[in-house]
Amino acid sequence: MIDFKSIDRYSRQMRFHGVGEEGQRKLLASKVTLCGCGALGTVLANNLARAGVGSIKVVDRDFIEPSNLQRQVLFDENDVTENLPKAEAAARKLRAINSSINIESVVTDIDRTNIESLCEGADLILDGTDNFEIRYLINDIAVKYNKPWVYGGVIGSNGMTMTIIPNQTPCLRCVFEAAPSPGSADTCETAGVLGPVVNIIASMQATEAIKILSGKPETINKELVQIDVWENTYRRVKIAPLLGKVDCPCCKHRKFEWIDGEFGSQTTSLCGRNAVQISNRTPNKIKFEDMAAQLKTLGDVSFNKFMLKFNAEDCEFTVFPDGRAIIKGTSDIDRAKTLYARYIGH
Amino acid sequence: MAVKIQIPTPLRPHAGNLASVEVIAITVGEALGELCKLHPAMEQRLFDNGQLRRFVNIFINDEDMRYLENLATPVKDGDEVAIIPAVAGG
Repeated sequence: MIDFKSIDRYSRQMRFHGVGEEGQRKLLASKVTLCGCGALGTVLANNLARAGVGSIKVVDRDFIEPSNLQRQVLFDENDVTENLPKAEAAARKLRAINSSINIESVVTDIDRTNIESLCEGADLILDGTDNFEIRYLINDIAVKYNKPWVYGGVIGSNGMTMTIIPNQTPCLRCVFEAAPSPGSADTCETAGVLGPVVNIIASMQATEAIKILSGKPETINKELVQIDVWENTYRRVKIAPLLGKVDCPCCKHRKFEWIDGEFGSQTTSLCGRNAVQISNRTPNKIKFEDMAAQLKTLGDVSFNKFMLKFNAEDCEFTVFPDGRAIIKGTSDIDRAKTLYARYIGH
Repeated sequence: MAVKIQIPTPLRPHAGNLASVEVIAITVGEALGELCKLHPAMEQRLFDNGQLRRFVNIFINDEDMRYLENLATPVKDGDEVAIIPAVAGG
């Protein structure tokens, strides 16, 4: 009988000088919370499970659609047919890949009320999300409890990653003081995304996780990496000197404004209207001209100075200049949040 | 001093669809000002009442200008100024 629990299954990784048997045992004893299991998240989960990270909690709010299969490497057509949540489908695949580690799936929307419990006990947090609201929440939690985390983002052919070890590197808010206002930046739905750049960025994130969890945090990449696989550019911009130099509310003043609910969105299901309202408290006014340009591939987008309207995925979106949106055609708050992140961004 | 400003993909429609724009300037702030003169639609994408928007990050030869001298950071011939927005998708 084949022994899948033997540490020998990691022999090639242990033979690598940077990990060794000691590093492998540390990996096996480590716990990770993976926030988001879409494009980046599936590549991250695949790498971590194969590497033998002992405990992986996969958190995602979404279901699998055919358009996910182009880049979300853990999913297949059967998962779409079965209408499985991403966290659950991922957990099944991961258990089939490595039955000797502990995989937990959590189907939920990450917000300020649950992020603390989702990350409790984790040695490291991985970012597989598609929006800055959750990233700033992760950053708050990571700094508050002194946990490392790895940011990754992709759009089009472009990707970016940075590793945060609180008090040793700048945090996300040191580098990106604010998220682009809703509608001012591309999303994967408006600008598309190439599968290969997802794999590259998530693989770099996974490597950073392996370095930290195997006990080699000194080997992390302390800079911001930006890659464009279509334009053939690789940039490593220096951010390490920002530590202590910027007046960061989070890591310098220990004000956790995202967990405290001072920023972020609020959602309400509008009873009897089959609609959900999402309010956004980020103090940036939306430019409808920009948003209309981003959304033009979807078809008709109309706006005046009071509101912008468009249709996508059988829902009618009405967006207001302060970032508030009413999404008609669903009463499911999680779905509405997903649609908001997908088309309006943040 | 002739410096090259790298324009990120989402902002290119506001800069004549160019990937980079060359300007003459002696500081980063002046370089961005020249860019906005050439492509006025960039002004409101980069600035809000004369202040650089908080989600716009500027790097000079891959160094973050905030630990240099911010917009007053001097530039020399051949320097590369990159506008790098955060990437949200995933």
